[in-house]
Amino acid sequence: MPEVANHSAPEVFWRINSRGSLRGQAAGLVMAAAGMSRVREWSRIRRFGLAGFRQYSHGTSNANIPLSSPLPGVPKPIFATVDGQEKFETKVTTLENGLRVASQNKFGQFCTVGILINSGSRHEAKYPSGISHFLEKLAFSSTAQFGSKDEILLTLEKHGGICDCQTSRDTTMYAVSADAKGFDTVVSLLADVVLQPRLSEEEIEMTRMAVRFELEDLNMRPDPEPLLTEMIHAAAFRENTVGLPRYCPLENIDKIDQKVLHSYLQNYFTPSRMVLAGVGIEHEQLLECAKKYLLGVNPVWGTGSLQDIDRSVAQYTGGIVKIEKDMSDVSLGPTPIPELTHLMIGLESCSFLEEDFIPFAVLNMMMGGGGSFSAGGPGKGMFTRLYLNVLNRHHWMYNATSYHHSYEDTGLLCIHASADPRQVREMVEIITREFTLMAGAVGEVELERAKTQLKSMLMMNLESRPVIFEDVGRQVLATGGRKLPDELCNLISLVTSNDIARVATKMLRNKPAVAALGDLSELPDYEHIQAALSSRDGRLPRTYRLFR
Amino acid sequence: MSRNERASNELTLANDNPASRVQIQTRSRPKQQREKMAASVCRAGGSAGRALLRARASSLLSLKKSQSTASYAQTLQNIPETQVSTLENGLRVASEDSAHPTCTVGVWIGAGSRYENEKNNGAGYFLEHLAFKGTKKRPQAALEQEIESIGAHLNSYTSREQTAIYIKALSKDLPKAVEILADVVQNVSLEDSQIEKERSVLLREMEEIDANLEEVAFDYLHATAYQGTPLGRTVIGPSQNAKTLTRADLLEYMNLHYKAPRMVLAAAGGVDHKELASLAQRHFGGVSFQYEGDAVPVLTHCRFTGSAIQYRNDDLPLAHIAVAVEGPGWNNSDNVALLVANSLIGNYDCTYGGGKNLSSSLARTSAEFNLCQSYQTFNIRYSDTGLFGIHFVTDKHSIEDMLHVAQAEWMHLCTGVTDSEVNRAKIALKTALVAQLDGTTPVCEDIGRGVLNYGHRISLKEWNDKIDALDAKKVREVCMKYIYDKCPAVSAVGPVEQLPDYNRIRSAMFWLRF
Repeated sequence: MPEVANHSAPEVFWRINSRGSLRGQAAGLVMAAAGMSRVREWSRIRRFGLAGFRQYSHGTSNANIPLSSPLPGVPKPIFATVDGQEKFETKVTTLENGLRVASQNKFGQFCTVGILINSGSRHEAKYPSGISHFLEKLAFSSTAQFGSKDEILLTLEKHGGICDCQTSRDTTMYAVSADAKGFDTVVSLLADVVLQPRLSEEEIEMTRMAVRFELEDLNMRPDPEPLLTEMIHAAAFRENTVGLPRYCPLENIDKIDQKVLHSYLQNYFTPSRMVLAGVGIEHEQLLECAKKYLLGVNPVWGTGSLQDIDRSVAQYTGGIVKIEKDMSDVSLGPTPIPELTHLMIGLESCSFLEEDFIPFAVLNMMMGGGGSFSAGGPGKGMFTRLYLNVLNRHHWMYNATSYHHSYEDTGLLCIHASADPRQVREMVEIITREFTLMAGAVGEVELERAKTQLKSMLMMNLESRPVIFEDVGRQVLATGGRKLPDELCNLISLVTSNDIARVATKMLRNKPAVAALGDLSELPDYEHIQAALSSRDGRLPRTYRLFR
Repeated sequence: MSRNERASNELTLANDNPASRVQIQTRSRPKQQREKMAASVCRAGGSAGRALLRARASSLLSLKKSQSTASYAQTLQNIPETQVSTLENGLRVASEDSAHPTCTVGVWIGAGSRYENEKNNGAGYFLEHLAFKGTKKRPQAALEQEIESIGAHLNSYTSREQTAIYIKALSKDLPKAVEILADVVQNVSLEDSQIEKERSVLLREMEEIDANLEEVAFDYLHATAYQGTPLGRTVIGPSQNAKTLTRADLLEYMNLHYKAPRMVLAAAGGVDHKELASLAQRHFGGVSFQYEGDAVPVLTHCRFTGSAIQYRNDDLPLAHIAVAVEGPGWNNSDNVALLVANSLIGNYDCTYGGGKNLSSSLARTSAEFNLCQSYQTFNIRYSDTGLFGIHFVTDKHSIEDMLHVAQAEWMHLCTGVTDSEVNRAKIALKTALVAQLDGTTPVCEDIGRGVLNYGHRISLKEWNDKIDALDAKKVREVCMKYIYDKCPAVSAVGPVEQLPDYNRIRSAMFWLRF
């Protein structure tokens, strides 16, 4: 079975889609939920007879007090208050070996601690693609200290902990949420998981199955978004960096073995490419643990000289990736889903290190959109452009959503749209028109609304601990420091309509990237889409010839 | 789906569900109060955690008094206090201030479909729908625009005993959020044209609920377990009522139930209690607390009937089965033991990793013998009764086996559960409770529900104490009381030919030898 951990905690700012806030909350809970599934391997306790585990109190005397009355004998609590002086502060320290330790405190008894590594599918240029995908599935398997995944989970269970690994195109992230008193164990476990995995043949074989299963699932599931994202990256950055496949290609599954993995790990899992991040934990304590478990440790793959490190910068190429597929019956449940053709059109935006990143984020928010059948009250972006101009006007459109992917050296702003296969041409034109309109006039009201929504989305996402963790980790990994939410909010406030028009105009000069999935008989030529995007009104060129 | 997810569905994923384009409205489904406790419980966190951590000087958390004088138990509560005050009309205001830049504020009302009769069943749900359609002061478009412009989210849900409407917003917009809430709760416009338009939306939503077999299974379960009583009805009501309910019906429902003493204004996040209380006074001070002719609606006891209902349709791919015994009401202390029992049975989905290594023995068996696609336990509670049980989804050939092992697990709980098993379940439960309170919305919901149901918010410390006080003997005792040799209510939908006869299910509720 596949590792449970393929759910995604949201990437706060790096990859916002217009419904980001909702995803954010959901993902946090999913993480917690997945954790519930991982408390397991009870039999092992019995076998080893952990005597210390059998503590329980016999204080059943207060067991019959109704829940509406407080328990007697509980001392009057002294509650924590916000003292207002210490704002959310992120502390960063770099260890001698280059590893960065970042932390942030928060109310509550739970902490989230994890290791982020600057390694992902974009770094696999000189290796078979799919290594990161394998590593994600292999995470939290047996290590030097722990004989199996179950032992790891058993250890975590004692601190009510859950663990999770996610890889993306540019980052690998191992994270554990647990009771704060268990943080020492947690850090030691993390260090072991990251640096001393056994990667046994049996585990790799299991992973091959899991990867196969996931690939199958990816092609079957009714929601085509992951597949489209993969396709648009491949189209936009043809065969380089972030355009490399994030999911292991079928033909590579058997090529990846321990030797390949070790050679990759040796190059990329180095301390200078790592950040140990913690939320809900004291910086000093985290630092102490980091020194204890992550300093001077010899990883299982040895410390040979580094070679083959891929430092290439993303090259935007544009282009089209098409998958013709029968989508007439994709529903897995009893309710049928109408046959749809999915289309994603994207253009290069900018890296999250550039100043234009913020205007792009605002632009993405302003485009917004979602599914035409989505429920939800006011707050889901009912006044974003893709709702007002597209979904509300063209009732046959099934979906129109804007996404913004951003990396350290490039970015991609794209719109996903889906409709009946017979109306693909019309749909393409509607979307290209929206793109060209981005460079046009921006209303003050819609701009203000988008800015406010972006700010509130950011802040709401940062309510939950796993999200803060990821935000801290990613920012420190990319920049060595962390822009606090307040600073980001200030930057958002400064965005003007001129900024939007400027970045949009710049973006529209590029060739588009197009991903299309489903019945594509009505799909216009790539050149026509390109022409439409560079035209004033976004209209596809008209051809009247009968035999084209 | 796991318990956490279920409870949260209502809150967060609500916006993501497909519904109608016309509708643009929350999907406040008749989600039962399944596992509401799990959602409602948490706070304070873990256990001894903070007490062991010293050197907190530089933290953003600080204790009011010097730490040296705080006892161990006191330091456990290292989160802000939940403050509660009451307005003159009886409306309660409760909040927790975490100084976060965002907040959730909402009104929890002690009204739901249980207060309805055959004729107006669905009125509460209908009314909740119309709350998004504008007020006397704000037409629909203005309401939507106002909320969107401050980057806020408006949401709501209705269950059998509760109705909630809440807003998530930046903390600085709290005054506006409270004002909008008050407007939506008190001045909903109820225009005839909107009512007509909403009928079709409701009918469409009913179709969608029909398509969700889990939802159907739970509505069937209520229908059979509480047959002949108001709890047996659905929240959304029959389609006949959706077509015929009039403005007068809705007004009557509102006038009868939207009363100050049955409302809680709850908030969490960057919320100053004094400010909230004064806002509440200004905007909710006028909510009436008197009933016409002093006719206070009194809930009659809803009788539980052990019985079975099944809808066989062999064309459906999977069967949904729910089995439940009568559980206690909200306030009963036995709930703690039952929650531990449920946590011990756990939940399972075939997509979970772990397979036969799962710690719950039922999950292990399910995985090993491929008995079901997923199962989840539930403990749905109402004011005087509840449904304690298990719901599973399986193919048509495994129904009997799955039911057998599930019931055997219940019998094990009643007769032979060990301390070590209970201990594991206790840890899992505590973790679930803590993990749930991440974010202002779950906290706000916990406050709102807690104050409405218990009269106060039960702190996590208190839950921990209650859970710690349990041992295997107590769990066995409580399970004996509610499960052993009791008549279960059974609902089954799908290809359910294999479902055993009721008497056989009943006879597996006891063991002749153990």
